[in-house]
Amino acid sequence: MQGFALYPFDPPGDIAALRAELRAWLAVNQPQGDIVARANCWASFDADFSRALGAAGYVGMTLPTRYGGGDRHPLERYVVIEELLAAGAPVGAHWIADRQTGPLILRYGSEEQRQRYLPGIAKGELFACIGLSEPGAGSDLAAVRTTARETAEGWRINGQKIWTTGAHFSHIMLALVRTEDGSERNAGLSQLLIDLDTPGITIRPIIDMAGHHDFNEVFFDDVLVPHGALVGTRGQGWQQVTAELGLERSGPERYLSSHALLAALIDAAGADPDPAVAALIGELTAELWTLRQLSMSTAAKLAAGEDPMVEASVVKELGNAFEQDMPRRVQAIVTSGWDDADDLARLLRALLIASPSFSLRGGTREVIRGIIARGLGLR
Amino acid sequence: MSAAREMLCDTARAVFAEAATVGMAPIDNAGFGLLLVPEEQGGFGGDWGDVNAVLQISGVLVPGLPVAALIANASLQPAAAVSLMAGAMGHSLALSIEHVNTRQQFGRPLGKFQAVQQSLAVMACEVRAVEAAAAVLAARLDAVGLDPLAADFEIAAAKLRANRAVGVVTSVAHQVHGAIGFTREYDLSRVTIPLMRWRGEHGNDAYWAQILGRQVAGFGGRGLWEALTAR
Repeated sequence: MQGFALYPFDPPGDIAALRAELRAWLAVNQPQGDIVARANCWASFDADFSRALGAAGYVGMTLPTRYGGGDRHPLERYVVIEELLAAGAPVGAHWIADRQTGPLILRYGSEEQRQRYLPGIAKGELFACIGLSEPGAGSDLAAVRTTARETAEGWRINGQKIWTTGAHFSHIMLALVRTEDGSERNAGLSQLLIDLDTPGITIRPIIDMAGHHDFNEVFFDDVLVPHGALVGTRGQGWQQVTAELGLERSGPERYLSSHALLAALIDAAGADPDPAVAALIGELTAELWTLRQLSMSTAAKLAAGEDPMVEASVVKELGNAFEQDMPRRVQAIVTSGWDDADDLARLLRALLIASPSFSLRGGTREVIRGIIARGLGLR
Repeated sequence: MSAAREMLCDTARAVFAEAATVGMAPIDNAGFGLLLVPEEQGGFGGDWGDVNAVLQISGVLVPGLPVAALIANASLQPAAAVSLMAGAMGHSLALSIEHVNTRQQFGRPLGKFQAVQQSLAVMACEVRAVEAAAAVLAARLDAVGLDPLAADFEIAAAKLRANRAVGVVTSVAHQVHGAIGFTREYDLSRVTIPLMRWRGEHGNDAYWAQILGRQVAGFGGRGLWEALTAR
């Protein structure tokens, strides 16, 4: 692993104007509901907000205009999503489709798939979920057992996915399935784009420890999808998924999940803070500033067509540690009752409960550290 | 890295290697004191990006010599310390990787053990963070004509981030090295002892945390984000 080389974050166009326009738009259109929804806001689902955001041109920004996108530079999209996350906007409904399913369909999908799905994604109306994990395939993704058998009518799918975020409101799932009989591990896998209203699919909620319904079990019982559901190359599913994970790991959502709490801490501290609170604000700010720079540099490297798998993993590891430790560090120094009704107390409680998931979703801490170690030349 | 900076670094490596045994004379003679002096005044006309690169090398090869003080004035010493620390941390990581890939126990290299891999991954993240902080601070200083007041936020954030990395970096480096790393003969302490020293110089954690924390409290919750994105 070479030493860190900073990639200049240099999007085209007037970025200050882009930020100002979006902030003005949010001032009018961001739901003014419960402040707790601003924490971990990429898990806050609001279909109306997603549709409005799409209509304003902030979803599917990098997709070509012929598919309803904005034909914008990836770093312009980066600016938009970091603003949305810092504002705590409820971006969860369209998040997966915008971040990875749309780009993956553009890259590997057929012309028919592009025309069928991308315009809805860019409107913020078509939502997607990721069909990777299974009961026997969590961190060990190559243990996937859901099968799709090619028949004269199309693909027959049997098996089960689990921990599928948003399956209950999504229209499509991009699933990793075993298409080759007798194949093992990461060979013989393919990606299928599955309309979730297809007969034979059963979606059951799994309620998380916060009481939320985010993830689901999805069962496939002899589900028939057309031949055209195959995305990319048959048998190349593993390589395509690996590329997809690169898009998933280095974004600003990996360190901004707890940002609403930092803002509330600063506001509660006032202009002349207690020294212990000032010290914590200083420490958290130093980490936030560094993480943002690492993430922007990695995004710039991705946008330049390179594959910064290790840098992306560094952003995720440091970012998850930051956003996960923050609630604990805040609780250690502020006087706040568990049941208090003020903003700081309620954000704190919500994030203490949500934060164990931060180092699980998108690849566990241990898997991510393994990727970094391989990048260092160990193993 | 530009060709000019590559040449500068090659020169620095050669000169500092000699200075490691004979002291400051080769560094003075090579003109490193003129690194930031404009060309029209007979200097090298370098920027802080050059200083960052040179000080990262000096932090490894001649951590005990006053190279930073020779190049930059007092108000820029906290920024210089970040570069020294980034260099020493990068070298600590390189020594650690080399050691665990070489040293065998239980019939295989230490680097094959998951526990060792996970520790080094944690260390590498800290090192990359400090290298990034040094690079971004350099870009800011160059954008504001080396005015430390205009880069006050970045200096505070970068020095604080570097300070906070010292504990993890030095402890993991020593842990994976075992007893050999604790000897005077082995090279590791030549970078870890300076790291321990630099954490407390030009502002320790508490110093910069107060300054940065009070500055950010003045911004307000939303103002922090606006400040981060405006700079």
